[in-house]
Amino acid sequence: MNGRLFRQTLRWQRARLLIVLLAAIGWGVLIPVVYTAFSDVMRDLANSGAIPSELLNVGSGSLFTLPGAITLGLQHPLAIAMIGIFAVGTSSTAIAGERARGTLEVLLARPISRNTLYTSILVALLLAVLLVLSAIVGAMVGTSIGLGVAEELDLGRLPLVVLNGFGLWAAFTTFGLAASVSFDRPGPAIGLTLAWLLIHYFLEILGSLWTDAAWTQDYSLLHHFDPGAILAGDVRPLDFVIVFAAAIIPIVYALFVFPRRDLAAPA
Amino acid sequence: MEGTPQAPVISTQALTKRYGSVPALTDLSIDVAAGEIFGFLGPNGAGKSTTIRTLLGFLHPTSGSASVLGRDVEADSVEIRRLTGYLPGGIALYDSLTGEQALDYLGDLQGREPHRRAELCDRLELPTAVLKRRVRDYSRGMRQKIGVVQALQHDPELAILDEPTEGLDPLMQQAFYRILDDLRAEGRTVFFSSHVLSEVERLCDRVAIIRAGHLMAVHDVSELLARRRRRVMIRWRGGAPEPDSLPGLEDVQVHGSRVHGTLTGEVAEFVRAIASPSLEDLTIEPASLEEAFLEYYAEPDDVPTAAGPVEAEQ
Repeated sequence: MNGRLFRQTLRWQRARLLIVLLAAIGWGVLIPVVYTAFSDVMRDLANSGAIPSELLNVGSGSLFTLPGAITLGLQHPLAIAMIGIFAVGTSSTAIAGERARGTLEVLLARPISRNTLYTSILVALLLAVLLVLSAIVGAMVGTSIGLGVAEELDLGRLPLVVLNGFGLWAAFTTFGLAASVSFDRPGPAIGLTLAWLLIHYFLEILGSLWTDAAWTQDYSLLHHFDPGAILAGDVRPLDFVIVFAAAIIPIVYALFVFPRRDLAAPA
Repeated sequence: MEGTPQAPVISTQALTKRYGSVPALTDLSIDVAAGEIFGFLGPNGAGKSTTIRTLLGFLHPTSGSASVLGRDVEADSVEIRRLTGYLPGGIALYDSLTGEQALDYLGDLQGREPHRRAELCDRLELPTAVLKRRVRDYSRGMRQKIGVVQALQHDPELAILDEPTEGLDPLMQQAFYRILDDLRAEGRTVFFSSHVLSEVERLCDRVAIIRAGHLMAVHDVSELLARRRRRVMIRWRGGAPEPDSLPGLEDVQVHGSRVHGTLTGEVAEFVRAIASPSLEDLTIEPASLEEAFLEYYAEPDDVPTAAGPVEAEQ
């Protein structure tokens, strides 16, 4: 880990990070507001049978309970897009982009090992992901307290929610960075990482909409982050093991492959 | 300086690099001595950049070995880069940074004080106002100047420069040559690749010529210059003398009173030999290394085999 490289990586991202953090806070404020305004209506709608309850869920989340709403807020495509900016977009272009621009060569002309470069970028990106996730969760909790509905949440379990969410998004971030060290151009790395995320999203949504295919959710990393369950007291250690294992495997891969790759002259 | 005076600063032994079945570099063996400016010449795709990238640890050799400043390029790549300054060909910089920020950033990562930055910026005409502008607003020449400064600002023991004068105007090229002269005077070693024969002639102590991944020759530049060929035109009053009476002149063509030919060797000796009252005009074109090098650049079918002989004068 190189402190200068770490700081500069964050500095490159500061404008983007600021904008995403503001959007994340806005999204986090919105979810409890929507929950307090519409949960009764949604519950009545579901009980009336007019709309199948499956269609009122997004993944494992729903607007029937505040923990469910928080899950919904964290599995919603908007939240995925916000966190994915760093976990997918920035991670997959971080090294392949430097390589394509030719700046990787200038960086690696310094006394920095490739693994140091990788680790410095990884830690900076994981911090960015953690900040965005924390902004969403923090805004949700803060707004819930402000609206007087926080008693529905076990606030003592919030660190576990953040830890589980961090593990999930770390898994996509490390995958993206592993793809980034594997290609000389950012296009294939972005495509592969985005496909990886979409597969997991598809498996999660498919299982939530179609009860016969509920088993597919077990194969989705997104399914192993259920804030509603944690906040309701159902902490599943296996979820933590799965998401952190999914985060570590690409790290091991990248630390093995990146130093061994040939970095021919950029086109 | 790192290493003993006897130890080569760069040494490669049968260094070979293949991309799959495609050979990029075959059995390259060269030694670069401390304190010399060593030119690395060859046409595009000859393997110059592959060699440099292997020396810096960007590429892994398929076989053979190489050391820089006494350190193995595979095992001690980070330490080699700590002691080395590198200017990549067609350098890319961070467009969103100013020139000064780019130099600060790269200097910080180098981990050594940029002792020479002020002097280099002054000599390459990079005033503060220019350094405060963003790299994206720089011309190619300006970027190249920043590239030279980032490579040399920490006063490296060895400078590895890949086509360093590309994009520099003639004045800046001269300034750059003087910088390299000073480096040599201070005992620093410079290894640079180039297509520009005149700058090789101007700067280098020795040159290696590479073609299609094979080392063709290693020469002392002074020796090459002594062996260089000059085009000569002589005109006599009356008829031209017999070609056999013109010592050192080859490829002789006689057109009436004029004789054209190629002179190899000392000019003074030749002039003394042809001096006579009937000599009306004598033109000797300035010699360059170009023709000597073109002999190696040409004839692509004549590449020696991996085990073949290499004309080396080290």
